[in-house]
Amino acid sequence: MPESNAAHVLMSAEREPDLLAQLASLTSNLATALDRFRNDSRLIALADKEVPDARQRLSHVLTLTDQAAHRTLDLVEQSGPPAERTAKEAASLAEPWERFRSGKISVAEYLDLIKRIDHFLVTARTDSETVRTNLAEVLLAQDYQDLTGQIIRGVMKLVSEVEVVLVDLSRLAGREEGLEAQAGTNSQRGHGPAVPGVDEGAGVVAGQTDIDALLSDLGI
Amino acid sequence: MSKDMKFLVVDDYSTMRRIIKNLLHDLGYANVTEADDGNTALPLLQNGSFDFLITDWNMPGMAGLDLLKAVRATEKLKKLPVLMLTAEAKREQIVEAAQAGVSGYVIKPFTAQTLKEKIDKILESRAVPA
Repeated sequence: MPESNAAHVLMSAEREPDLLAQLASLTSNLATALDRFRNDSRLIALADKEVPDARQRLSHVLTLTDQAAHRTLDLVEQSGPPAERTAKEAASLAEPWERFRSGKISVAEYLDLIKRIDHFLVTARTDSETVRTNLAEVLLAQDYQDLTGQIIRGVMKLVSEVEVVLVDLSRLAGREEGLEAQAGTNSQRGHGPAVPGVDEGAGVVAGQTDIDALLSDLGI
Repeated sequence: MSKDMKFLVVDDYSTMRRIIKNLLHDLGYANVTEADDGNTALPLLQNGSFDFLITDWNMPGMAGLDLLKAVRATEKLKKLPVLMLTAEAKREQIVEAAQAGVSGYVIKPFTAQTLKEKIDKILESRAVPA
């Protein structure tokens, strides 16, 4: 082997680990860049299409629950008067009926009682039928739960996906996991309902009894 | 106070307003007006002659706590019974509402019985001069 070639081989052997390290670093950067690109394109798809879609879907959930609640309230309100009418008329018939049963009724009162009972039998039947139909409608109005449940589950899946992408991006950006999110709520305006498993624990009352005790301590 | 008392029910959800209105009707209180947040409620209170205010906390526009503070800061309304009917469940909020002068606090979801008890309690305490 000529001397120059031997020197070249020696030099290459010395530089090999260096080159390998650089290659490893390049590969890692390329993998990171590809990951980032994959995340970026997924993020773009999420931001462009799926998140606005989800917003629209949730808005539809609001509409469906609102409609179902109003429909139920309509039916309940419509059922009150016929139910009350039946109860009231039955109560008003009880006293003359009792007098009739004990034989303490005049002929005129008896004839009036017969007329009223005839009328009551017709109206009670119609009114009960109205209430029964309304109850069946109330039952049907609860079908929103199935539809909204499916939509909400779809949105939950999307939120999980967004979470994964964001965690990946945050890791790629070299951020430490577990950084605390800034609280965006404000006590003055309200936090919304306490959610089991999320808002439990310190600072949240367990129920009305807890509130009553707290208010009592405060002199209310 | 009689069953002719005028109630103002403030909640941004029309379904909740209807539920409260129906429950008040069942309790014999037929004179019920509705508003959807503090901004619409306050002029009604200032220009009307309401005997009882039931308000939600979390509403767009003026929130319930601000409405309560505005009520207590108005000479004509400062003694008006105010029942907070809300899903807000943080201790600090309840303390804040108490400091702002709330007369009662009912947490959602609630029962007809709880609503009745709290209204009765407030009215009883008003009937007996301190």
